[in-house]
Amino acid sequence: MDALTPVSVGSADHNLVAEWLYREAMLFDRGDMNAWLALVEPDIQYRMPVRRSATPGAGGDFSTLMYHFDESHSSLTARIKRLGTEHAWAEQPASRTRHLVSNVLVHRAKEDELHAASAFILTRGRDDDAIDILSGEREDVFRKTETGLKLARRLILIDQTVLKTYNLSVFF
Amino acid sequence: MRAMVEGTGFSARLADGTSLYDLVDEKRGRISRRIYADPEVFELEQERLFRRTWSFLAHESELPEPGDVLTRDLAGEPVLLVRGDDGKVRAFLNSCRHRGMRVCRTDRAKVKRFTCPYHGWTYSRAGALIAVFAEDLYDDAHLNKAELGLVPVAQLGSYRGLIFGTWSGDVPPLETFLGNMKFYLDLYLGRSDAGTEVVGVPQVWDVDANWKFAADNFTGDNFHIYSAHGSIVDLGLLPPDPMALSFGALVRAEGGHVLHFVPGPPDPAFSHFGVPKEFVPHIERNLNPAQQDLVKRHGYSVGTVFPNLSFMQVIVQGDFESPPTPFLSFRLWQPLSATKTRISSYLLIEKEASSAYREASSSAYVRTFGPSGIFEQDDMENWKDCTRVNKGKIAQRHFLHHGMNMQAPRDESFPGPGEAWPGSYGERTQLAFYGEWQRWLTEAAPWTR
Repeated sequence: MDALTPVSVGSADHNLVAEWLYREAMLFDRGDMNAWLALVEPDIQYRMPVRRSATPGAGGDFSTLMYHFDESHSSLTARIKRLGTEHAWAEQPASRTRHLVSNVLVHRAKEDELHAASAFILTRGRDDDAIDILSGEREDVFRKTETGLKLARRLILIDQTVLKTYNLSVFF
Repeated sequence: MRAMVEGTGFSARLADGTSLYDLVDEKRGRISRRIYADPEVFELEQERLFRRTWSFLAHESELPEPGDVLTRDLAGEPVLLVRGDDGKVRAFLNSCRHRGMRVCRTDRAKVKRFTCPYHGWTYSRAGALIAVFAEDLYDDAHLNKAELGLVPVAQLGSYRGLIFGTWSGDVPPLETFLGNMKFYLDLYLGRSDAGTEVVGVPQVWDVDANWKFAADNFTGDNFHIYSAHGSIVDLGLLPPDPMALSFGALVRAEGGHVLHFVPGPPDPAFSHFGVPKEFVPHIERNLNPAQQDLVKRHGYSVGTVFPNLSFMQVIVQGDFESPPTPFLSFRLWQPLSATKTRISSYLLIEKEASSAYREASSSAYVRTFGPSGIFEQDDMENWKDCTRVNKGKIAQRHFLHHGMNMQAPRDESFPGPGEAWPGSYGERTQLAFYGEWQRWLTEAAPWTR
């Protein structure tokens, strides 16, 4: 494990990560998923562990074995291609989302690797349903590459133990 | 005075005079839309079905050690399951006898004893009341601790690792209730020497849909795949011929328990649900020849243990690189209201599974099923919309149609118990499920066969 060095808010590397996250949120909310896929590394690991409440003696809240998302580049590609088919009913019509990202803190792990923790609120409207609100934290690992900053790892720590949205056909 | 069902305290009609016998016409394949959306039907269902029947509560592997606790729900009421110092699992209403507070308020816990947060009444791992605050201020006439233990679930039973409970003392024991469905449950849960365990924890989510759409879908509705999951065909992860999955059999076991079987992919090396070859000797040791034959010849089997526990043994690809991979999931469809259901979906795996098989099976499952699954996302879309529209009083004037492949003769050569019909596209199993549902709403002892 490399030592993590704090990166000050407002410094060049912090700005790089924060702008990446804002741009990602815009791509998500505009449904431009192919542009998003171009921003992730081929060895991406994208996971949302299942959360269940537990007393301290019964282990932590987050499962280390079961996930709501457990994705590779290929499975993310399948999800995104699926949205482009005629029969992806869960997103026809598409969810109207707003990804709000804040509390961005960045650490440098290696010269070309940055770790970021951020808070999110995701609002999801669909049809004439009430808006679903999902919140949580994301722990990301970014690599600086010749084609810009790329996402290599994402751990999504959702705040709900019982998901109060009827499916997860949107991205985090 | 409302007409009563003979021999019961049950009214035979809804408040507007509709006969309960008109809600389901199993012979003609007509189902009233009211059963999916009417609060009055929901209340009857809670009283006559869920407060009487056996319901799935947990898997043995979720509480391996003394003091391990799970909180679950039985017919809409909170229960806790705890493994005692004697190794036995017990289940109680999760409610202090003093003011009613829950004595365990997390999904999982590890406890020496249960202490109510309100006034400190304390219960043992076996549910006995062992301490009361300021006990000296009570006299014997006003405190008999022996009578004030946690309220036990009336019956608790376990089959192949699945723990069920019931609030009824009248319903027959679990194994009688499961009947010849046990023969089939063995194919998934009893095929390896050590049995199965839950991978991690269940995924739990709420959907605005009636629970019966989910149970119905898992009774053997194999023909929704090419429409509901057309996107997977578009991706090239299912064969393009819409009749490709129509082979196999629909099976009606006893007591409303139903399932189907479908052959695996047309690969000569494929057999035994696609599980790793090291499990074939296990299957040959643990299952009888008829059971082995069914496992060997099939790739998919989906069913519902009446009323609301479903299972799927399937082989899928969740991406473009991984080979088709088998997984086994059990899921509980817990009604929260007429139009809201809490889904708890468990991935099970053989206890002896290698880490490579565990990881492959788990990622195949998560990518295709569960709340984000590229298959299951679209199921929720359908169940939610069906429920929404079936609330309508105009819609409710018009029955829903079930009738596919009712003319097919029985397959007398099918090796398993119950009744079987050739082909996996049909609506006999759905109708068997609804027929059983109607019996529970109208009969004093629907378990009598």
